[in-house]
Amino acid sequence: MIENNTPATCENNLLVVENLSVIIRNSREKLIRNLHFSISQGEIFGLVGESGSGKSLTATVILGMISKSLEVTSGSVKLGQSEITSLSERELRNIRGKEIAYLSQNYQSFFTPFIKVGQQFIEIIRCHTDISRKEAKKVAIHWLNKVHLPAERVFNSFPDELSGGQLQRASIASAIMFQPRLIIADEPTTALDVLTGERILDLLSELKEELNCSILLISHDLKHIINRTQTVGVMYGGQIVEIGKTSAVLSNPIHPYTNLLLQSRLRLNKHIQHELPTMLGEPGSMAEEGCPFSKRCPSVMKSCSNIVPMSSLGSHHSAACHLMNAEREERYVTR
Amino acid sequence: MLHVNSISKTYHSKAALSDISLTVQPGESIGVIGESGSGKSTLGKIILGLEKPEQGDVHFRGSNLHTLKGQALKASRRHLQIVFQDPAGSLNPKLLVWKSVVEPLENFPDVIPSFLKEVRHDRKKMAEVLFQKVGLSSELLERYPHQLSGGQKQRIAVARGISLEPDLLVCDEPTSSLDVSVQAQVLNLLKKLQRDLNLSLLFISHDIAAVQFMCERIVVLKEGLAVDSFLTEDLFSESRHPYTRLLVEMSMEQEYK
Ligand SMILES: Nc1ncnc2c1ncn2[C@@H]1O[C@H](COP(=O)(O)OP(=O)(O)OP(=O)(O)O)[C@@H](O)[C@H]1O
Ligand SMILES: Nc1ncnc2c1ncn2[C@@H]1O[C@H](COP(=O)(O)OP(=O)(O)O)[C@@H](O)[C@H]1O
Ligand code: SF4
Ligand SMILES: [Mg+2]
Ligand SMILES: [Mg+2]
Repeated sequence: MIENNTPATCENNLLVVENLSVIIRNSREKLIRNLHFSISQGEIFGLVGESGSGKSLTATVILGMISKSLEVTSGSVKLGQSEITSLSERELRNIRGKEIAYLSQNYQSFFTPFIKVGQQFIEIIRCHTDISRKEAKKVAIHWLNKVHLPAERVFNSFPDELSGGQLQRASIASAIMFQPRLIIADEPTTALDVLTGERILDLLSELKEELNCSILLISHDLKHIINRTQTVGVMYGGQIVEIGKTSAVLSNPIHPYTNLLLQSRLRLNKHIQHELPTMLGEPGSMAEEGCPFSKRCPSVMKSCSNIVPMSSLGSHHSAACHLMNAEREERYVTR
Repeated sequence: MLHVNSISKTYHSKAALSDISLTVQPGESIGVIGESGSGKSTLGKIILGLEKPEQGDVHFRGSNLHTLKGQALKASRRHLQIVFQDPAGSLNPKLLVWKSVVEPLENFPDVIPSFLKEVRHDRKKMAEVLFQKVGLSSELLERYPHQLSGGQKQRIAVARGISLEPDLLVCDEPTSSLDVSVQAQVLNLLKKLQRDLNLSLLFISHDIAAVQFMCERIVVLKEGLAVDSFLTEDLFSESRHPYTRLLVEMSMEQEYK
């Protein structure tokens, strides 16, 4: 579907996720609960959280690719005017690759081994458009150049002849060929070393400007979130527990999980630390009722077994934690 | 204790390591950093005796590691242990994890590590002590690797690595595959054990922040060459090699206000 103007009410939001919940069909276990966020045109939106918190699952819902064993029980995912959750498989296939591009951590498996990279590009191009092999090659070379690869050589290489960084670049080239409006980059640098990883993120920022698209950057590395994103959502146990302008969330974290995440990150320091602050408890342990973080939270209190609503702290920052209300009450009482 | 004397190694006539030398003193922790393909793991493998250098030699506890044979080689093995990057791949999937942890102790029945003196006769008790050392609950003893998280598996690998009270522990990207918060737990653990047991540590990583936290000295590899080597406190010094400065710059966070 093509839309040519964005209604003013949308505040140039490209993607809007509302009240999204996902469960495992058999066990009815909740994996994602009442997720709520939007990505505006041209921004890099960061999703951060420990492994298993639901980042990749959120991505697969946006791509309309969730596994048969899971079920979306509520909510909507809107890309422009299209409601992803109600599209047919055929319509989805058209959106994937063309409107939304997906880059995964497993760039190793992006290309099929033993088939030359160029061959695979041609297949992908001819799958979406009706052009000759010769023209398709031109397109492939054009995009391989765009990601700063030696295009001809890569075109004629087998995947295992390329380094990790080169493979990730080639997979980016193939993902952006149809000039998508949204690029979902799921841990795009985790398997790469620092320099290679930074160069990949530079490339993505550059392409974002050129294609005028938005990026959903999923990472557990706070450095990338801090350096690259304008908005951030912090996930814990299938929920966004804090969200807002990256600078606001990071300079004034409200949720204890965000706070601990910030403290326990490794970073280069002028003075060397003797022990890194760590979080209590095991990652992934999630309370069934009330606040999902209550099993590990150092400030847990009685009311935490009740559901926590999102409260906002001004227009660019909100969080879901009972501390916020407790503080407010306290202020009220002492006044 | 460990002396690596100008070793070189080539694969397919491409140099993976050229003329590398380094020394590790007892109780010292040395970090090796570099980009992917810079030769870090190759260096680790040579030090472990898994690969042979074409030139140069490696002396460990006074003897040339690559000419040792039979009993002497086995004896040196006991003092030299490793923790790999991939916690899943380094444990036997069909073995209960407590059995994996005490396996090295079974291969060396005569070795009596100081922290296992009282329980050396009892495999299960040894496993319990080792689990405690790495901060794992004894509830996890009877599990298989796939029933544990990445961080837990990595701690099992560390428990196995220290079980014989080795002199030198080589860690090749021990936390790269772990989550930030779990990474911090495993690094704290390694640092504490290194101090408590007076271990020497060769810590291989592409993450400068991890190396800065763990090590007293740092060696920087670039395309198989050691381009820089310095005390960790001099990491930010003006006299650092331009390549080191680039790595540092790339690893910094912007200030957020
Ligand atoms: N068994 C092998 N056969 C052929 N080439 C090899 C072999 N092992 C390593 N190499 C090559 O030697 C060089 C150094 O590899 P090494 O594994 O030591 O890199 P590294 O610094 O550990 O990288 P990473 O950070 O990706 O682990 C690379 O160019 C690699 O492709
Ligand atoms: N197909 C599936 N069937 C059952 N559980 C799943 C499935 N996919 C993901 N999960 C579970 O959903 C949670 C979130 O997973 P994921 O989104 O992959 O986390 P991450 O934040 O690390 O990307 C995890 O507990 C995971 O085990
Ligand atoms: S709601 Fe309670 S348990 Fe949850 S983060 Fe806030 S204080 Fe901690
Ligand atoms: Mg994931
Ligand atoms: Mg390596």
